[in-house]
Amino acid sequence: MAILEIADLTKIFGSGHLEVRALEQVTLAVHPGELVALMGPSGSGKTTLLLCVSLILEPTSGTVILDGETIFHNGWTGGDVRRLRREKIGFVFQTANLIPFLTARENILFPLSLVGQSGAAAEARVSELLEYMEVSERANAYPALLSGGEQQRVAIARALANRPKLILADEPTASLDTTRGKRVMDMLKRVARENQTAVITVTHDARMIEGFDHIFHLKDGRLESTT
Amino acid sequence: MMDLAIRDLRLHWGRFLATIIGVGLLFTIVLTMNGVYRGNVYEGTALIAHTGPDLWAVERDRGGPFNEQSSMPEFFRYSVAAVPGVAQASPFIYYPVERQIKGESRRFSVIGYEIFGGMGGPRQLTQGRPIQQAHYEMVAHEKLGVKLGDKIPLGLHTFTVVGLTRETVATDGEPLVYLSLADAQEFLFQRDNQAVRNQRERQRQSLMSKARMTPAEADKLLPWLQPDTHTINAILVKLAPGADPVQVARHIRDWLYFSVYTTEEEVELVLKGRLARMSAQLLFFRVLLLVVSLVIISLVIYTFTMEKIRSIAVMKLIGAPNLVIIRMILEQSLFMTVTSFLLGLAIITSIIDLFPRKILLLPSDTWFTFAMALIGGILASVLGIWQVLRTPPAMALGGH
Repeated sequence: MAILEIADLTKIFGSGHLEVRALEQVTLAVHPGELVALMGPSGSGKTTLLLCVSLILEPTSGTVILDGETIFHNGWTGGDVRRLRREKIGFVFQTANLIPFLTARENILFPLSLVGQSGAAAEARVSELLEYMEVSERANAYPALLSGGEQQRVAIARALANRPKLILADEPTASLDTTRGKRVMDMLKRVARENQTAVITVTHDARMIEGFDHIFHLKDGRLESTT
Repeated sequence: MMDLAIRDLRLHWGRFLATIIGVGLLFTIVLTMNGVYRGNVYEGTALIAHTGPDLWAVERDRGGPFNEQSSMPEFFRYSVAAVPGVAQASPFIYYPVERQIKGESRRFSVIGYEIFGGMGGPRQLTQGRPIQQAHYEMVAHEKLGVKLGDKIPLGLHTFTVVGLTRETVATDGEPLVYLSLADAQEFLFQRDNQAVRNQRERQRQSLMSKARMTPAEADKLLPWLQPDTHTINAILVKLAPGADPVQVARHIRDWLYFSVYTTEEEVELVLKGRLARMSAQLLFFRVLLLVVSLVIISLVIYTFTMEKIRSIAVMKLIGAPNLVIIRMILEQSLFMTVTSFLLGLAIITSIIDLFPRKILLLPSDTWFTFAMALIGGILASVLGIWQVLRTPPAMALGGH
């Protein structure tokens, strides 16, 4: 079963002569453990698609089903979207976007605390993720004291904290040099393969998506091709 | 749930501390103004309340002796004492002066009272004893800066400080000096010899030129024309048990042609008269300061929130309920408000004695200001919370 199903997704901003069709009849499905890349020029609709998948933006029409739960269907919105984001989606951003007044450990602990996890079990999960992302020795450092690569790895660990079904990565290597960027992408691939987590990445850099299962190209809001 | 406010404070403690010190100093000023306001009212009325007779008889249609000048011949004390229902009538002098004390020009007020059983004298002494001799002894407020045994020249005579007091000051906040009635009259109303000689000569010339008297006739008349020093400012009345103050007051008013006030009325006269505008001024000023403090806290919280706006967007995107973020803003706002207030209170409490005039901190005022600060702290965070609620989670994603 697909973890994410999008069918005939259309998003229209404005109306009349100001109408902008940001997404047009987009259909795709992502299965557990799959690595998916979204590519396209600026203004092609990648952000709009990501916002719809993130359950932030309501599509004008079409359907979004996450882990079997219908979230959007032709203008109807169902389910507690914030809870769904909390429990089923992990986010990795262009810049790490770590919370600056929390240490690396606390940044990973934060999403766990949102779902009511605390104490030894939560601490163990944080340690496990720090180890997994190879940033254990930086656990008590504030984000400002971490390198860009370390920050991004902590961000991935934070995204994984609640064992999400889907990770949405918004140009995760944009602020890193090639070496560090590749390392981050390798981490994401490892996460997908080992945890059966689906990963959708928006990127401009084709070099970073070697080994991805599907590459979707967007142009003017339409899904042009699939590799 | 993870406490974000404490973690933010932990990292940015320097900035929070600087803000707390700044706002704390503002609260010091707010509390000081409260104290100045209350101190002003207290000093303006304490002497009246402490003197505390049942009735004050003063010159007709005057608000005296504290609100305006009141003058009456001393012998009327006997007339008042004879009024049915009056147990005791004591002469009373109250007069603000400025004289040299130990080489410095000092303002103070003289109280003249009947030292043998009369009302109006000092109630509690911190050192020494009450005036026991009819002449040349004085009791002074500690603020005058004199010590027991000091010899203080006042007018034509030198007085020995036999007692010190601290309980009340004059209605204008200046120290009090207690003298016997006779000494006070002499000090306040008797001029020096040269002034007396000059006036006598003016009167003699006047009698001779206008009344066409001979020098011998004028000389005979002159002693009777000298101003009488047996003048007082008020008569303090103690009522006999069971006497009706309204009836006694009416009797004195109608038959002796004085104005009569109860102590409460005398306090009201001062509050509505001399103190009214100053009190209103201070009240307005302290309200203004409180508002300024709250506006500053509000802006500080708003600025802190705006600095965290991207983090807030991230929190919202990863599913944090608004309540978690609102709690952070509210906790920080209340923490800063409460600690700033406590700092302000600690500062004013530790420096209260350094002020030259009384700063009276009433618990009710302090609690009221605290409650206002608390409500203000909550309102101050409204701006920040409003910003939290309208921050779109999409802000965390950036553009492509």
